[in-house]
Amino acid sequence: MGPGLLGYTVRRLLWAVPVLFIISVVVFYMLRLAPGDPVDAILGQRFQEDQAAILRKKYGYDQPVHIQYLKYIQNLAKGDLGVSTRHQQFTVSEVIIPKIWVSTRLGFIAIVISFTLGTAAGVYAALARGTFLDPLTISFWLAVDAIPVFVAAPALMWLFALKLDLVGLGWRGFASANIILPILVLSLPGTAGIARFVRASVLGVLQEDYVRTARAKGLPERTVVLTHIARNALLPLITVIGLALPGVAGGSLVVEQLFGIPGIGREGFDAVLAPDFDVILALVLFGSFLFVMANIAIDLLYAVIDPRVRVGAARG
Amino acid sequence: MSNRMLTLMMGMVAFLILAVGAVFVIALAGGSDDDDTTPGASGDDERPRSSGDGICSGNSLIVPGSDPASVLDPIQVADVATSEYVVEIFGGLVTLDTDLKVQPDIAQEWEVSNGGKTYTFKLRDNVVFHTGNTRRVTAEDVKYSIERAADPANASPTARAYLGNIAGLRDRYENKAASVSGVKVIDDRTIQIDLVEPSDYFLSELTYPVAFVVDRQQIESNPRNWTQKPNGTGPFRLAEFKPAEKIRLIRNDRYHLGAPKLDEVVFELGGGSLLTRYENDEIHIGYVPASLLDSVKDGSNPIAKDYQAVPNMAVFYFTLNPQKAPFDDPKVRQAFATAIDRKTVNSVLLYDAYRAADGFLPPEMPGYSESVKVYEYDVQKAKQLLAESKYAGNLPRIVLSYSGSGAAPGELLVALQEGWQDALGVTIELQAIDSSAFLREQRRGNFQMHSDGWSADYPDPEDFLGKLFASDSTLNYTRYSNAEVDRLLLAARTEQDRTRRFQMYTQAEQLILDDAVVIPTFWPVEHVLVKPCVQGYPAVSMTVPKYRFVEIKAE
Repeated sequence: MGPGLLGYTVRRLLWAVPVLFIISVVVFYMLRLAPGDPVDAILGQRFQEDQAAILRKKYGYDQPVHIQYLKYIQNLAKGDLGVSTRHQQFTVSEVIIPKIWVSTRLGFIAIVISFTLGTAAGVYAALARGTFLDPLTISFWLAVDAIPVFVAAPALMWLFALKLDLVGLGWRGFASANIILPILVLSLPGTAGIARFVRASVLGVLQEDYVRTARAKGLPERTVVLTHIARNALLPLITVIGLALPGVAGGSLVVEQLFGIPGIGREGFDAVLAPDFDVILALVLFGSFLFVMANIAIDLLYAVIDPRVRVGAARG
Repeated sequence: MSNRMLTLMMGMVAFLILAVGAVFVIALAGGSDDDDTTPGASGDDERPRSSGDGICSGNSLIVPGSDPASVLDPIQVADVATSEYVVEIFGGLVTLDTDLKVQPDIAQEWEVSNGGKTYTFKLRDNVVFHTGNTRRVTAEDVKYSIERAADPANASPTARAYLGNIAGLRDRYENKAASVSGVKVIDDRTIQIDLVEPSDYFLSELTYPVAFVVDRQQIESNPRNWTQKPNGTGPFRLAEFKPAEKIRLIRNDRYHLGAPKLDEVVFELGGGSLLTRYENDEIHIGYVPASLLDSVKDGSNPIAKDYQAVPNMAVFYFTLNPQKAPFDDPKVRQAFATAIDRKTVNSVLLYDAYRAADGFLPPEMPGYSESVKVYEYDVQKAKQLLAESKYAGNLPRIVLSYSGSGAAPGELLVALQEGWQDALGVTIELQAIDSSAFLREQRRGNFQMHSDGWSADYPDPEDFLGKLFASDSTLNYTRYSNAEVDRLLLAARTEQDRTRRFQMYTQAEQLILDDAVVIPTFWPVEHVLVKPCVQGYPAVSMTVPKYRFVEIKAE
């Protein structure tokens, strides 16, 4: 990493601070200004003004919003994400970290599968251009993509659990075969998009002069495909992967709901509906942080891989 | 196809197979690091994935559960989900049996004196806490628990509502006194509780978690985290709690009312596709959504014989705000009440998922009377009532608010909306408001008309009629006020003779329905599936301790 690149990295990281700050302020105020707060939710229909006052005091909601914000940031600096009003037995970290971890692993496995399948299908379709295999491959994956999760999941459950009795349906952790169905449902639909992206990219590269030159030199087809075509065609995929990664940690509401997975997608959804202030904030901040970091990482990766980008970076 | 193409194709296929295989290997092996963390659990938790006798061979009941919202501290419980666990882990002086009758728990017997204002409880001598050697529960423990509930520093959301009739409790709760004057320890096994006013339903109130007995030693030695391993006197104790995954309760062998027959009850918190999981023999108890009711109850379905309808002690209703036009005119309210066809909506649209309500109090409620009647469905009469009202011919647009997250309104609401529009020629707009904002607007009386519901905290008409319709009740958000109803409710509150009390409630209920400020629609029913090997699962309409009656018997 040259000195230009280092400066660039530092500058980008410094820029992340105000971005995250602005996000935290906006979300914090939005939550506080929306009608209805966690105390309404806790007391429900049995709400009494004086009891609400006691609870607001307990959670600090009786303070002016900017004081609440400062306290929040103070605690955040100490690593304390606050308390969950929906799971009073646990702190926010205890609620969200295990769930993020479950969703991340699940999403990561799914993304590896869909990128592997998608890349293979895309390269294959591009090389098979002009034959029926090209539209067949792409159409197949599009058809898979077109099946809604809430149709695919019950159908898979019926087939693999009830009829074939190969897997169970409850959550038994990653070591159990029960994990296979949710992974299939999470990974297969994403494949079509990747395949089409890769196919377009490979087709672009196929027309490049250096591919023709390589073939003209008499290089073996395998070398041409792997070193000349694949390497250049897959470069743009970095952006797609990079931007998909933060989403992985967000989990999937529908799949988690259908398979009873203790993931962050459902937690986030329920937290917003409750509302559960500190959990929402922690999730938004965490998500923003990942997104900002992924963007920086992608840009840096390009700079490392592609010298032309690096020159631009050093200038700008 | 060229030779090159063919090679490529074969290569791709081989690659795909390898890639998928590799990922599954990673998925299956890579996760093993975190799944042996269950400390000291009864061997390996892994059950046979699914097989008919697998679930019926053990002695552990697996049921769907919900994540508790409150901590597992009786005085903090304000939601049904948490109560479900707390009533099994803790106990109080008295408890409800599965017929909703008050039964002795920690108390062995009691005497009522002083014109119904003094209750003297004699405690059993064999009640012990789960852990902490064999410490016996004494009158001091009971006093401590009530004092703790009333302590304003503990901010209990329910203490005043349920225990407010105990002399001195309100003063303590409002920090005007250092202790609750009405709770007196007579000796180790005797405690006396004085009330502000005589009350026939005080014992019912005492069955609510806020009156449960907690372990002072445990709380004082670990004030922050004692609820992680709560020590109570209930039939089960908490063995494991993984948020969003499971809660495991294990049997308390020394339970004074008879040890449970089950070794453990596992509440699976993940949800998922419960009906499918039930069919796949993964859970003992399943719930049927209304949309699938027809297919489950169908005799050709093998699980039809497992089906049980469990009534819920609750009521759904619409509130017509008498403070807002056009519902300030009783004729308009009565027209709306007369133009609602509960029975057809329930049978045609809901597959009889509910019971059409012909009163406000649900039939499970003690004191329920069949003589109470809502307005009979009669479109002609409804039109006539509307024509007689002062809004005849110029009825304003009506907004019907309901608590919802912005998705399409349920079929039920749409059907009722259409019914009113067709019968009365009004325009009704449905408005969804998210739940906590809905509650807030409701309290302020801002709605013209809204969809509402109420469920029982304790089995007594006071909990429905007194709480919602007495003009001095703080929960009377509709600001309903009828002098005759007030008189009846007040008299019923302190009446000692149960038959006379219930008669007064019946009269009051009929007056309330005649005023048509509320239009009861349905009494809910829970549609439950119970595996044939599960015996003694009670169909009870409230949250009461019930798992100690259940046993698993393989056929």
